[in-house]
Amino acid sequence: MSAIAAKPGANAGAFQPVPSVIAIVLAIILVVVAYFLGSAGILAGGAMPVLQTLCLIILGAALIAFGVHFVPVGGAPAAMGQAPGIATGVAMLATGAGLAGLFGGAWAAELGLGVALASGAIGGALMMAITCLMVNISYVFGMGIPAASGKVLKDPITGDLQAAYKSQGTEGHGLPFISYVGGVIGGLFGGLGGTLIYIELLNFYNVGLPALGFVGAEGINMLAVGLAGIFAIGMFLVIAVLSAYNITGTIEGPHDPKFKRFPRAIVAAILASAVCGLVAMLVVALF
Amino acid sequence: MQEIIIGIGVTALAGALAAIAGAAEDTESNIGSQGDPNSQVQLAPQMGYTHRIYNKAVSGEPPAYTLWVTLACGVAWAFLMLGVNAILAIVFGTVLATFVQGVYATTAYLGRTASLSKFGQPVFIDVIKSVTTVTMAHAFVAIITTVTVCYLMMTVIGHPFALPLLGIVWGLALGAAGSATGNPYYGKERQYQNQKFGAGVPISASGNIVRYAEAGQRSSIDNGFFTAKFGGPASGLCFGLIVFFELWRTILFEDYLAGWGAVIAGAVIIIIFMIIDRYVEVWGRKNYGPYTVEASA
Repeated sequence: MSAIAAKPGANAGAFQPVPSVIAIVLAIILVVVAYFLGSAGILAGGAMPVLQTLCLIILGAALIAFGVHFVPVGGAPAAMGQAPGIATGVAMLATGAGLAGLFGGAWAAELGLGVALASGAIGGALMMAITCLMVNISYVFGMGIPAASGKVLKDPITGDLQAAYKSQGTEGHGLPFISYVGGVIGGLFGGLGGTLIYIELLNFYNVGLPALGFVGAEGINMLAVGLAGIFAIGMFLVIAVLSAYNITGTIEGPHDPKFKRFPRAIVAAILASAVCGLVAMLVVALF
Repeated sequence: MQEIIIGIGVTALAGALAAIAGAAEDTESNIGSQGDPNSQVQLAPQMGYTHRIYNKAVSGEPPAYTLWVTLACGVAWAFLMLGVNAILAIVFGTVLATFVQGVYATTAYLGRTASLSKFGQPVFIDVIKSVTTVTMAHAFVAIITTVTVCYLMMTVIGHPFALPLLGIVWGLALGAAGSATGNPYYGKERQYQNQKFGAGVPISASGNIVRYAEAGQRSSIDNGFFTAKFGGPASGLCFGLIVFFELWRTILFEDYLAGWGAVIAGAVIIIIFMIIDRYVEVWGRKNYGPYTVEASA
């Protein structure tokens, strides 16, 4: 079959049970491997802390994958006012918000897990709240175009009619209120998930690095922060790009039919983060 | 008390520097045509419209700025570790990153434009000579201000991340904020200046970008001149507000309620922005819409 003949069918983006089960089984195998590495003393801290770290990293990744689907991204068509959403890529915008959240979460790490996670979530949401507002200011005051959705007749939150505010020959433009709220929620989940991954890795490295024996006591925290930060950012990019593939191009927010594809991205994120998380932990393995 | 006052001062300075960074970033990306609207610059020759617009969108703005800012931060950090004066270290790092940006811009323009040769699109050497240096100058301003913001965060504010790590975070946020806010203004208002004001570009008009100026063919430098009036400042305001409020809420309210004060302050700021957004949306609907079908003569 040629590429042209292989057009996406009606079930494009549908949940596929068999590959999903395979992915979950592979993720469980990796978690079990981590457990045995912990119990054998290869990963510092013992079996249960290693298990907890990897499971929470996977949870953080699932939160990121879910959050990316809320972010309204219009890509190139949005830059011409041809489609609603923010005129940039899914992965990059979600990562920008997530990393802004990670910045806040890492800053608050010493105040406890609860404050750090909340601070990370709010940091991501704040970045999206400001960006989405400036997008609408650009459309309304710079280009004289009102916000209109192309996917729903009425805004599910405000009840505003959309079709009459859509200019001719376009699929809509700007950010209707539901898309704005979606952006903020996406930033919230992204910041929360990113910070969770960072803090789990930070705690793990703070235990694992002294066991290696070649790092002085004064350098451990700096190295742990650096390693945890780099791996958290890297994992965020992996999950955001995976989710962007699932979205395929553009999405308006939680009211978009593509939003229903999120379970598939979560399954992919679980497997990808299990691999990445185990690799990140093996960096301080005692072989 | 003194710490808080210094913190607020640094927050204001970081916010102002970020605003300059955002404005310079958007103007640079519009002159070099790096954002999403560049899809039309690439498409135009394929539709039969050859042009003299720069074309360097090999990567999106966020990853490109992540590279340049992180590179500058990394070099600056290495010089700082060697005991070099902070201002000099930041300048050295930025100069190197700007050269990398120049090489990236040149190779990207040559590669992307040469790929359009079968559609009759020429590679203009004078465009490379005149436009590349202008994008480099704007990139220098965007990078040096962002690196300075990161340096202030690391030293004065005491964020645990090292300078290169802060460069990744804020380089990406700079590109994301600049492209999100500035792209529609460059794409709709400038490239499709011949389309009706107050409406999106019809999909049928794709590729038919404006290619001529008052005299001769349109230059990419004029695109920067145009977008610097709205898209650039709006992007600057966006990035400036992000940096300012991210720091302000933590520095001022972190000591309250065992750290939850900063979280609550952030939530309140988000709700205020949400209310402003709703006001802007309703204002646009009341004043512009709904669209009506033109009566045919």
